[in-house]
Amino acid sequence: MSMAQVCCDSAVAATAAPVVGAEAEARARARAERRSRAGESGAWKHAVAAGTADATRKRSLGAGELLVARKHGAASVAGRRREMEDAVSVRDAFCAEGTADGGRRDFYGVFDGHGCSHVAEACRDRMHELVAEELAATAADSSVSAAAAWTVAMERSFARMDAEVTSAGGRAAAARSSTCRCDAHRCDHVGSTAVVAVVEEHSVIVANCGDSRAVLCRGDGAPPLPLSSDHKPDRPDELERIESAGGRVIFWEGARVLGVLAMSRAVGDGYLKPYVSSVPEVTVTDRSDGDECLILGSDGLWDVVSNEAACEVARACLRRGRAKWCAEAAALLTKLALARRSSDNVSVVVIDLRRRNH
Amino acid sequence: MDQQGAGGDAEVPAGLGLTAAEYEQLRSTVDAHHRYAVGEGQCSSLLAQRIHAPPEAVWAVVRRFDCPQVYKHFIRSCALRPDPEAGDALCPGRLREVSVISGLPASTSTERLDLLDDAARVFGFSITGGEHRLRNYRSVTTVSELADPAICTVVLESYVVDVPDGNTEDDTRLFADTVIRLNLQKLKSVAEANAAEAAATTNSVLLPRPAE
Repeated sequence: MSMAQVCCDSAVAATAAPVVGAEAEARARARAERRSRAGESGAWKHAVAAGTADATRKRSLGAGELLVARKHGAASVAGRRREMEDAVSVRDAFCAEGTADGGRRDFYGVFDGHGCSHVAEACRDRMHELVAEELAATAADSSVSAAAAWTVAMERSFARMDAEVTSAGGRAAAARSSTCRCDAHRCDHVGSTAVVAVVEEHSVIVANCGDSRAVLCRGDGAPPLPLSSDHKPDRPDELERIESAGGRVIFWEGARVLGVLAMSRAVGDGYLKPYVSSVPEVTVTDRSDGDECLILGSDGLWDVVSNEAACEVARACLRRGRAKWCAEAAALLTKLALARRSSDNVSVVVIDLRRRNH
Repeated sequence: MDQQGAGGDAEVPAGLGLTAAEYEQLRSTVDAHHRYAVGEGQCSSLLAQRIHAPPEAVWAVVRRFDCPQVYKHFIRSCALRPDPEAGDALCPGRLREVSVISGLPASTSTERLDLLDDAARVFGFSITGGEHRLRNYRSVTTVSELADPAICTVVLESYVVDVPDGNTEDDTRLFADTVIRLNLQKLKSVAEANAAEAAATTNSVLLPRPAE
């Protein structure tokens, strides 16, 4: 069993690879904005000296909200599987195209590979770039609604990701992966789930392909809200789609497409197209003031931990009041999954959605 | 696989993808190596793959009991079980331990070499253990050269296996045929690539030397 790898803000920042293009621009812009806000913070201190209590309170709240990066934590363990084929991606302020009100966008993804690790690794390295490019392209077209624009952007991003891992370029990428064992011939039997979340000031957008999952923990004791639906081959609409395409689902250690693959959608897996599709299901959810966190996880977590139990763990960590409660929640959830004898890799990302991230 | 009718010509088995003329040339091979006494609770199937490469090039890949991952999908690793008497020789009775990639309904497979006939190009193995649902699986692969209507190599692979509890014959055939069909497609790809590479090497050797 591999050691758990726990990431939090500083670790992610330290390990993030240098990226050119949209993300680099977004980061530069974020740095410039932070310097500008530092100036405002100075002005606020002056206001304190002036003794204007109302102005002080308003500026304090605003500054607190704007100055602190969105907190998150991520954890991945190989668990009882022989090797690690999951990948996690966290990309703060990943998109140069801001929202209408100038707020930031953060990207989070969990990718659970099967057959080999290189497809999940490619998703970790490229999916956020593809989403950023497609958002820029979609932003130019103002005739569609926000939800429709997100669906178009995500479907295109996933299609391009799928094409990249199944084309010759994808094989070249596989050859560069230090953990890939595939031979020079086709790697058609390798694939990955992809559950992707983009967090904006007012919305959470989720795109899902496969059987990883995103769950929103709303506050005030409200039940958890699933933002994705697992793509299992025996989900009635998936079963119908597969059989309409001429495929079959048989129960061979669980429901499997052609008896082989236990999910009905995935990035890659060229040999099972068109039965195993890479089209994501996209949800756009308005954020509420009471929202606590968003949890992304692979099926190694969700097969043994219910949505309710996961939210209770996160809420308990939140109530302890520690600054790195998201990282603690992510680590604790992976440990819980292992304790419940999950037989798979486990990957978890927990994102703080509270309005005032102090 | 259906029993052959007494005295009558059998039709080409459905889904095999061969023409009647091709099947006629393979009939003796099928009769000799691809017929099974299928018991109750078992099923059997025969698949074919045309390959545009010399039969000896195809056979060189098929016969590698020690290295099935060259042409089989889903294999993470394979190790021959050491045999002090046989050493490196591939002969009937040899065992290999196959480890399967993730995401599939299997993790390991212990397999025994049953047949290795280099003259007739017949290869056979059975599965004797491991973590999977294929019990009493026995398989034969043959490599044949056809001359009519065009020179071509045809690989036939057949098997017999128990139908697991809770599944039907159709389920079992679908699962096994899917895996074998993928393997045969990869065998075609590997053998044709090897043949093309060999031909390119031969051509470069035979090209006239530039004038000095």
